[in-house]
Amino acid sequence: MLNKQNSKQIEKRDAPKTRPAPFRWRDWLVVLPFLIFAFLFILLPSIILLLGAFRDNTGKLTLMNFAGLLDPSIVSAYWVTIKISLATAIGGGLLGFLMAYAITVGKLPRPIRTALLTFSGVASNFAGVPLAFAFIATLGRTGLVTLLLKNILGINLYDQGFSLYSFWGLSLTYMFFQFPLMILVITPALDGLKKEWSEAAENLGATQSLYWRKVALPILMPSILGAMILLFGNSFGAYATAYSLTGGFINLITIVIGSQIKGDIYYNPGLGYALAVGMVLVMAVMMAFYYSLRRRSERWLRK
Amino acid sequence: MKRKSFWSWIWLIIGMLYFILPLYATFDFSLRARKGVLSFLSYQNIFKDPNFWSTIRFSLVIAVFTIIVSILLVVPTAYWIRLRLPQLRGMLEFISMLPFVVPAIVLVFGLIRVFSGAPFFLTNTYFGTDALLVAAYVVLALPYVFRSVDTGLAAIDVISLTEAAQSLGASWSTIMFKIIFPNLKVAILSSAFLTLATVIGEYTIASFMVGIKAFGPYMSLIGQNRTYESSSLAIISFMVTWSFMGLIQLFNRGKADSGSLAGAR
Amino acid sequence: MRFNKLYFVVSLVVVLAMVLTACQAKTPGSTGETDALVKAAKAEGNLTVIALPHDWCNYGEAIAAFSAKYGIVINELNPDGGSADEIQAIVANKDNKGPQAPDVIDVGYGFGPQLIADKLVMPYKVSTWDSIPADSKDPDGYWYGDYYGVLAMEVNSDIVKNVPADWSDLLKPEYKGQFALAGDPRASAQAQMSVYAAAIYNGGSLDNVQPGLDFFKKVNEAGNFVPVIAKQATVAKGETPIILRWDYSALADKDTLAGNPNIAVVYPKSGTIAGIYIQAISAYAPHPNAAKLWMEYLYSDEGQNIWLKGYCHPIRYADMQKRGVIPAEVAAKLPTFDGPIAFPSIDQINAAKKVIGDNWMSVVGADVK
Repeated sequence: MLNKQNSKQIEKRDAPKTRPAPFRWRDWLVVLPFLIFAFLFILLPSIILLLGAFRDNTGKLTLMNFAGLLDPSIVSAYWVTIKISLATAIGGGLLGFLMAYAITVGKLPRPIRTALLTFSGVASNFAGVPLAFAFIATLGRTGLVTLLLKNILGINLYDQGFSLYSFWGLSLTYMFFQFPLMILVITPALDGLKKEWSEAAENLGATQSLYWRKVALPILMPSILGAMILLFGNSFGAYATAYSLTGGFINLITIVIGSQIKGDIYYNPGLGYALAVGMVLVMAVMMAFYYSLRRRSERWLRK
Repeated sequence: MKRKSFWSWIWLIIGMLYFILPLYATFDFSLRARKGVLSFLSYQNIFKDPNFWSTIRFSLVIAVFTIIVSILLVVPTAYWIRLRLPQLRGMLEFISMLPFVVPAIVLVFGLIRVFSGAPFFLTNTYFGTDALLVAAYVVLALPYVFRSVDTGLAAIDVISLTEAAQSLGASWSTIMFKIIFPNLKVAILSSAFLTLATVIGEYTIASFMVGIKAFGPYMSLIGQNRTYESSSLAIISFMVTWSFMGLIQLFNRGKADSGSLAGAR
Repeated sequence: MRFNKLYFVVSLVVVLAMVLTACQAKTPGSTGETDALVKAAKAEGNLTVIALPHDWCNYGEAIAAFSAKYGIVINELNPDGGSADEIQAIVANKDNKGPQAPDVIDVGYGFGPQLIADKLVMPYKVSTWDSIPADSKDPDGYWYGDYYGVLAMEVNSDIVKNVPADWSDLLKPEYKGQFALAGDPRASAQAQMSVYAAAIYNGGSLDNVQPGLDFFKKVNEAGNFVPVIAKQATVAKGETPIILRWDYSALADKDTLAGNPNIAVVYPKSGTIAGIYIQAISAYAPHPNAAKLWMEYLYSDEGQNIWLKGYCHPIRYADMQKRGVIPAEVAAKLPTFDGPIAFPSIDQINAAKKVIGDNWMSVVGADVK
């Protein structure tokens, strides 16, 4: 690999940087609408969240809410949520990638591609109560597939130890909206794989797998990582599906927050806000991790 | 070639099975409103309900505005950051992930607190409230829209394209609307789909902002006490959203392939 | 002289007429709304309610009837909400006079003191105030009980041929994988009261709820418990054919499903528990007069009978029964139960909440690794 000094010299020799020094302020003008929007509609409510985390029910300032973060059941809740998010991000990412591959590089007919992309759009948001019920109707004790397997193949899923109302059952349900999301997000990247590259590789004697390992996947890796962090966040923040399906029996942090902010029993929004701030921190850590992975994968792409 | 196609079909079939079975199970249940026979009674009940039509119309309109605002907001920003302000990239990614971790109920109450009083007074008019709703949905859709657009931008060589266009004398608006947007067709379509689906089914923000005028709260109202209708409503909303996406897709039909300079399939 | 006498008689008649009409407006059982209140409410034109499902105590009819009678448009927020949502909505909308600010709320019994402490409600005593039992209302009028329900078992009798009759039946092996709660005890009053009731009739008492947790642990270990939130749909599907529910919800389900499938509503023989809900007017209500009119309507005989039609026990039931203003066919359909019904106090409820909420996951939870 070139050392730092060489690469700097190469940068100097090559095409002029598109970072013009004189018109700095004008650059910021273009992103101003977005920044204003983000400030007004994302940051301000988030600040209210942060401030609320420091208040108790009577409005006094307190750090007790954050002390709640150290409670073992809360820590376990974060942990379980992270685990399910990782599992469905990776699982959904893999399946989504394969299906996206099928409709792009895999050259399936155009109408199928259109149908799958639009379908993925809908499926990626089919969540909450309808999704929970759909899976209950499929894999619950009286579900379609459960009965089919019992009556036709003689396999009793629940006797075998499977239960929809478990970590893996919930993961399976989450996948229903995770992998369409992956399909939608990764398809543009797969579209961007120039045919010429695979042809060139073939001409140079590379096998399909070599092409994929050394050319295509490295090019796609930043986008794949980006898509996976999206899947992670999507699953991390999911509430309605988990609540409907597991009734709070699986200790997810969103459900714990929900029970403090909503519902008929507890009413401790300060604690709920503190837990949400905890979620922001976890997300920040995951993003830092993703960012370092992404920088490494993008390294050789930089000109 | 043949081998590639074979595996493609396999993955497609596995995927479709996984998608279709739960939907079929819901559909099957929705047909059982009349005891012992399969009938479309629950569907008729939904279609006869005027609230169904008014709420879905309302949510579709809100969705369209959300899509337009999201895309106009995100595409130029993501493009510009790639081009000129890469140091902002990390911040942009982090902001785009915030909507995942701020619970919807916190977001809606935060927005109401900030915008219902001075100096905005947005909630005093229906227009203001709907505008606030659109803004909230743009926030909700932001992670998906940003990620799609960013992935799309990664696939095209933004810098070279821009330089080439500039050397040919193109103005910024030409670059934006005649080069960047067409090349991001697929990414923009993906964002539009995701935003539409997000808005139609959304419950929490709509329920506190406009109540049962929106489709999400309407679905919840039906779902609480009407078993078969709630299943048929799930299927109907699925179909309606899917057709609407098909319409969006059709709208871009001709240009989908040809516009892509950056290595279309 | 004759002129004076005539004058005197005429004034007497006029005064008498005024007194009579004034009295008429105040006879017990009437709606009690003054013309001034109605006019002021109509001028406001809108009422914002929150967390009122239409089949919950027949609120759908109450909303439609009130709207039709007074021409006031009702904005319905968050039909699926719980008590905390309603309270949060008031807090978040303090400065908002728009349609997002709830005017009136209907929350659980245990929240009364908090509403007063947080200064979220305004006092108002409806004209029928005196017929509301003393232990179901705040003496200053800040909140007042509206109805109560009794916990029962809702059973899909097409699937469960041998309908369970009591708490102990839920432990029987024949009900393997068939029993569920209608919510998460950490977030749902129904589910939490289920655990509380289980405690009272399985070795505990109003002040000792641990036996309730132990009972559910036993049900779980017997394999009878399905860890999902049960709803009408899951009961009808057969996934959770036995659930614990407020009797008014169970009976409403029975009506809605109309035999498809057949639903049996059974009170556990050894006893059950009652859940009271309370009404209050938001201190920041944008439409205070409409809110007061709404209360007058709900607490009139007409309003209370609407709730009665929804199988709820309206809080003025005893008074209405005494005066005979309950229509016979409505009274006939109201469920009766002769066994013990526990009525926990506010303090007992709040104490139980804490114990059940804190210990639920450890006792029953599927802390899956």
